[in-house]
Amino acid sequence: MVLNWKDVRVLYLREIRSALRDRTIVTNSVLLPIFLYPMLIWLVYTGVTFISGQNEELKSRIMLKDLPAAHARLQKAFEADKSVILTTSANPAEDIRTGKLDAAVEFLPAKAGIGIPNNFETHVTYDESRDQSDHARSRINKKLSDYRQEFLQQQATKLGISKTRLENFKVDDKNVSTNRQVGVFMIALPIFFIIMLAVGAMHPAIDSTAGERENSTWETMMTAASSRTSILVAKYLYVATMSFTAAFLNLFAMMISMGTVLAPMIETGRGNSSLQIPLKAAPVILIGAALLALFVAAGMMILASFARNYKEGQSMVGPFYVALIIPIMFLQTPGLAFTPRLALVPVANVMMMMREAIQGIYHWPLIGITVAVEAACVVLALRLAILIVRHEDFLLGRYNGSFGKFAKERLLGR
Amino acid sequence: MNAPVVVTNLSKTFYDEGRGEIKAVDSINFECQEGEIFGLLGANGAGKTTTLRMLSTILAPTSGSASLMGHDVVKNPEGVRKNLGFYSATTALYPRLTTRETIEFFARINQYPAERVPERVDYLIRRFGLEKYADARIEKLSSGMKQKVSIARTVAHDPAILIFDEPTVGLDVLNALDVQEMISELRTDGKTIIFSTHIMSEAERLCDRIAIIHDGHILACASLAKLREVTGEHYLEDIFVLYVKTASVGGPAGSEEAAKRCTETIRDERLRMQAREGAVSNETVGPTPNDAI
Repeated sequence: MVLNWKDVRVLYLREIRSALRDRTIVTNSVLLPIFLYPMLIWLVYTGVTFISGQNEELKSRIMLKDLPAAHARLQKAFEADKSVILTTSANPAEDIRTGKLDAAVEFLPAKAGIGIPNNFETHVTYDESRDQSDHARSRINKKLSDYRQEFLQQQATKLGISKTRLENFKVDDKNVSTNRQVGVFMIALPIFFIIMLAVGAMHPAIDSTAGERENSTWETMMTAASSRTSILVAKYLYVATMSFTAAFLNLFAMMISMGTVLAPMIETGRGNSSLQIPLKAAPVILIGAALLALFVAAGMMILASFARNYKEGQSMVGPFYVALIIPIMFLQTPGLAFTPRLALVPVANVMMMMREAIQGIYHWPLIGITVAVEAACVVLALRLAILIVRHEDFLLGRYNGSFGKFAKERLLGR
Repeated sequence: MNAPVVVTNLSKTFYDEGRGEIKAVDSINFECQEGEIFGLLGANGAGKTTTLRMLSTILAPTSGSASLMGHDVVKNPEGVRKNLGFYSATTALYPRLTTRETIEFFARINQYPAERVPERVDYLIRRFGLEKYADARIEKLSSGMKQKVSIARTVAHDPAILIFDEPTVGLDVLNALDVQEMISELRTDGKTIIFSTHIMSEAERLCDRIAIIHDGHILACASLAKLREVTGEHYLEDIFVLYVKTASVGGPAGSEEAAKRCTETIRDERLRMQAREGAVSNETVGPTPNDAI
């Protein structure tokens, strides 16, 4: 069994060429990674925008209580706003709870302060559980804030000082967080990444094994002068490439769509939070992805090669796909720490390693463990593949059974 | 100098869960010479395909040996495959490659000198009349055209030995004749061809020597003229039936006594059938020995 890299190249290019002409593979390994999740994000964003737009159109029923006469201009400002209906209520709290009223503003005399005449405090009552009420509160806040600025300016002019001095102090917010704080969104990236690794490998793995049997091209290859090692290595590299490509296409598509669609949503009022993967994280992500792609490709090819046709292949690979996805779904908690124990768990360790790298955190000993564990998984999967391929009936597609049956009968000798 | 194909006591045993141990091929021996078409004639399940699969290194023999161009099928399978073009109904083409890409791909992976591949591809496209379809995908071609491309890919690396396992199965008469013509031309090129079929007329038309295989045994192996001489039958169908009948009545294959007994049985059957058919229609042509069996 001699490995000839020239042959591997020819065989590999043939696989890629065929794959790029196959609708199922192109859809699953190229189009889906580029468009699916970005499109889902866009849909969610559109949905949120639509709902908030609906709220914008609703008129807020607001009650102003005990507004000082000196501040009649504030009342006029409310009256001039077409999105506000000023109303009265005998029991505002109850009316807000029952939905008859959206919010109530109570004006109280200012406590000790810098002694500005007619100064006041406000007390806003609203029901946070109702969007309409919450929206009314936002409108009130904006109105009061605008009026406050105007009022302060007038008072400062009267006193002959600047508005800033009169303002005493003000709270201005500025987001100085790193990606760690916006990580709630960045957490999703490694999960999508691993799902796409699996989706990207699935159809090529089935196509290059069960698909070849179904199309009767398997035997054509078995009579070619290239060594069978070369043929299998080429197929393996092809499946790993498709897996890796799907994951990276998805990552880039997600970065672009998050930057353009999602960023404005999560950056409201904050300013400079970043949704870019730091360049320093690239080697860690690349190594993790490459090892994981090799592992996923080996696992899927082993299972799919027991199938005699495409459909059987899909049902045989399905459980492996689910086995890959389920553990990572449990690891979505933002505060979850990457521990040495977690670094020993295949697939989950790569996800945690990537998640930390995206956030700019590098625990090198844990990264080392992760790489070693994934490399060991790849080696084990390949050893298993070599053991299986030695059986003639398997190689010719005459073995009638699943991987489980084969392992029990031939590998464990039961 | 050794013959291009030498088969010595070649056997293959399978294990089937229901039927137990099955001897698909049992100690067969034959040789094929350069520039000849060697026919392997047998009914379905006779062991033709298993024999050819062993020769093409797809299956490993249980015992015995076979060598192609001096390369042993077990010890040097890659050497064997480099000198062999294998065609069968189960060796399909990649549907998403074009004709040109297919021939080029098989020339390359079968170690044809890289610098001469483009020239070889052009030559084969011209030779098999595939110019119009050179850039069409295989999936778009008709069965006949696919068959032509299949033969072109079988000879893409210019191997000395060619194996054709029932190459005309599923083809209409015209396409089947085309394929036979191509195989005949390849003999003219000096190729050693092993041709397996259960269609007697094909074997009659093409083969220089014929081996009749039945139940994993070779019952006879000679030229058509020699087989006629030994059996006294003219048509290959009759000869084939005679040998198979002989084997099934227990006589030693090809023995005079067994052949005589077998011939009588066939003639009796023929007469009975003719009488029966004649009662139905005067236009019915007498049944062939195959019908009698």
